[in-house]
Amino acid sequence: MPRFNSLTLPDRPIRILIGVAIAIGIAALVVLLFLAIAGAAAQQDATPHSTIDLPHLLVMTSTQAGLTTILSLTVGTALAWALNRLRFPGRDLVVGLFGSAIVTPGILVAFGLLAVWGRSGWVNGLWRSLFGTPLDIPIFGLGGILAAHLILDGAFAARVLLARLDAIPTARLKTGQSLGLTALQRFAIIDWPTLRGTLPGLGAIIFLLAFTSFPVVLLLGGGPANQTLEVAIYQAAKLDFDLTTAVTLALTQVAVCALIVIAAAAFAPVPPSLGSSRSPTWQDAAGPRTVQWIVLAAGILGFALPMLTIIVDGLSGIGPVLARPSFWNGVLTSLMIASAAATLTLLLAFGLCLARASTDRAGLRLTVAAPSYAYLAVPGIVLALGFFLLVRTMGILPAAAAPVVVVVANALLALPFAVATIGPPLDAIARSRGKLIRSLDLSGVRQFLAVEWPLVAPEAGLVVALAFCFSLGDLGVIAFFGTQDFATLPLLLSRALGAYRTNDAAAIAAIMLVLTVATFVLLPKLFARSAHARA
Amino acid sequence: MLLSVRFALAASLALAALPAAAEEVPILRVHTYDSFAAEWGPGPAIKAGFEATCGCVVEYETSDDAISTLRRVQLEGDTTRADVIVGLDTAIAGEARATGLFAPHGLTLEGLALPQAWTDTEFVPFDYGYFAYVYNKETLPNPPRSFEELIALPDDFKIVIQDPRSSTPGLGHVIWVAEAYGDRAPEIWAGLKPHLLTMTRGWSEAYGLFLDGEADMVLSYTTSPAYHVIADNDTRFAAALFDEGHVVQVEVAGMLKSSGQQQLGRDFLAYLVSPEAQKVIPTTNWMFPVIDIGADLPAAFNDPGQPPKVIPVDEAVVTANGRAWIAAALAALQ
Repeated sequence: MPRFNSLTLPDRPIRILIGVAIAIGIAALVVLLFLAIAGAAAQQDATPHSTIDLPHLLVMTSTQAGLTTILSLTVGTALAWALNRLRFPGRDLVVGLFGSAIVTPGILVAFGLLAVWGRSGWVNGLWRSLFGTPLDIPIFGLGGILAAHLILDGAFAARVLLARLDAIPTARLKTGQSLGLTALQRFAIIDWPTLRGTLPGLGAIIFLLAFTSFPVVLLLGGGPANQTLEVAIYQAAKLDFDLTTAVTLALTQVAVCALIVIAAAAFAPVPPSLGSSRSPTWQDAAGPRTVQWIVLAAGILGFALPMLTIIVDGLSGIGPVLARPSFWNGVLTSLMIASAAATLTLLLAFGLCLARASTDRAGLRLTVAAPSYAYLAVPGIVLALGFFLLVRTMGILPAAAAPVVVVVANALLALPFAVATIGPPLDAIARSRGKLIRSLDLSGVRQFLAVEWPLVAPEAGLVVALAFCFSLGDLGVIAFFGTQDFATLPLLLSRALGAYRTNDAAAIAAIMLVLTVATFVLLPKLFARSAHARA
Repeated sequence: MLLSVRFALAASLALAALPAAAEEVPILRVHTYDSFAAEWGPGPAIKAGFEATCGCVVEYETSDDAISTLRRVQLEGDTTRADVIVGLDTAIAGEARATGLFAPHGLTLEGLALPQAWTDTEFVPFDYGYFAYVYNKETLPNPPRSFEELIALPDDFKIVIQDPRSSTPGLGHVIWVAEAYGDRAPEIWAGLKPHLLTMTRGWSEAYGLFLDGEADMVLSYTTSPAYHVIADNDTRFAAALFDEGHVVQVEVAGMLKSSGQQQLGRDFLAYLVSPEAQKVIPTTNWMFPVIDIGADLPAAFNDPGQPPKVIPVDEAVVTANGRAWIAAALAALQ
């Protein structure tokens, strides 16, 4: 942790007060949610109805997450390697495509996979018309889950690792080029040492994402043979009304996730990498280049095909869906919830990070930052269940509390990412300009408007975009709070799939995808522009 | 402080909702499964028919399948807005009764034409049918005639069934295997495992997957093929009759104690068993009506009609063993 002289920092008691208040509020809320779950479980009969084989469930979830991690890191490394070497028109677009994987809702990937690879998907249709026999691809079950995770997490890994490769100093590349390194030597001597440091931290994040996966497993699991704890918690609460089991599972889930988060914190941090990627100048020989093209083509096909299918399928049958009031209600609800959640995320993140940047006392810095990270370990389903029971215990109609709860829960789920994104730049500003701000005797508000905001506006844009997209794709929280009158697009999509209104599902999926990508591309640009206008 | 603001906001929202509802026409909120309330289901006609006499508005609130509606009401407890639940069945009725959430219907149900005598004081039957696998005669000329024949088929023969924890057909299937095979039930489940394409949350998704060609057979009802004959003039589909016999499902409706619309709820239940509503059932929910509607029952319902062998199911036995049977089935599938 950077230590800097407290004399260089302006005195900002209000910032620290706000930050501490937010941190305590979040910590208190977490405790309250757990009390609500435990209280509800205690009210039920002591014997759990369903017999959950917890060790089996843990092994199953860990195996799935472990396989996902290994596959994603392998594919991510291969894709990053290929992208780092190749130059072609549309390269920025491909890099952007992989970058957007982090915000692509899992429910969309699962849906797209079915449309492409299902028994009546179009790959199978093509195969049947060419060869006469059906091609049985096991899309339900572990295979489908791994494929969907690979699309999301492999692309995410590729984007992060590409940024590492991009950051290799030009001088080192020039030396390597002049030594005439082969493609293999170049990877082993120059690339691998750079990538190696990032892999454990990245692996931990991917493991965590796969371990807590919900919509993908719910849709593609194909029954009890493939589950995650997250799905088991949902089923125990929503299908079995067995809160005792749900609590046991939730506590296990939190314990395992906390272990992973702590382990991940020990590794080198994974820097957010969403800027543009510079084009390479040193090309490999023809042989390796062919391999790179094949890797890249396979990667783009694997990632883009399900997405393209969603757009094509969805837009072709969108007419009847557009005529339905429930659809427009869903669009409006989703946009309002996501906007509110994104705003709240940004406010909370600023509140916490400004406080953290205003002090150099390690204990205080940790106090302010820790509760926001607690949410990495508390999965969405547990959060939603806790909120649901809390609201019920207070005698409030869940339907009445739903909008507030969904916004708060979604904001909290995005908060760790938000703090990780705007925390470091705010710290850096305090470090480098604290003395100047102090000597100019700027007020806290002036400091924010004149110095901090213009410098962190691009990151703030990224935070808003991330939080907006996370909320837009959330199924876990809304699954508990949605009603006929209060439904977001993911819930409508899940319902349409449950009722087998495939046409509706396709159209909703297409709209969600367009909204997600548009937000993710446009919002950060808008924020960056607003900062330039001010500066 | 942040917390109290949040809760104050939530509480004021809750309070604001109350007086608004009181001034308007009474609303009867009916929780049901989605294919019941769908445009092509019995929901719209029953809503229109009941609204014509009740001076109220019927609003459907749907879940993937019927058990989900019960769980939701259990989770919501006294805060639930549901007045009536439509679509539970005799297999889940015992558990639903034990929650203490349901009020006596107070109706004298006479003239019912059910495979079993009806003495239930809380639940009103509104249709019945027999669980069966449905297949396409063109792609499957020789369907299995028992569970044992089914599990002996090659692994690429795929079936799609429903989750017994969310769906009444899924639960019915577990009971079917348990009652027909007793101690050997886990063996049958283990045999079904390689054939299981997926286990869906509800009937609609499973049937849709089957119609799209994702699976060779789907768990549905002996009366499902009648739908294709009557609605699409399509005779390709049939129900596979199993030598073990078939299990009957009686679908029921009940009203909640917490409902502020007790009289409306009772009237709605009475309307469900009236000839007017019962005539709608066969060609919308594709199940047998619970009263004799004479010539209004389409001829397609006589093929195969009542299955040759019916396995009797006792509610008390199911309520006592249901959870264990489900656990054993799921364990065998893991």
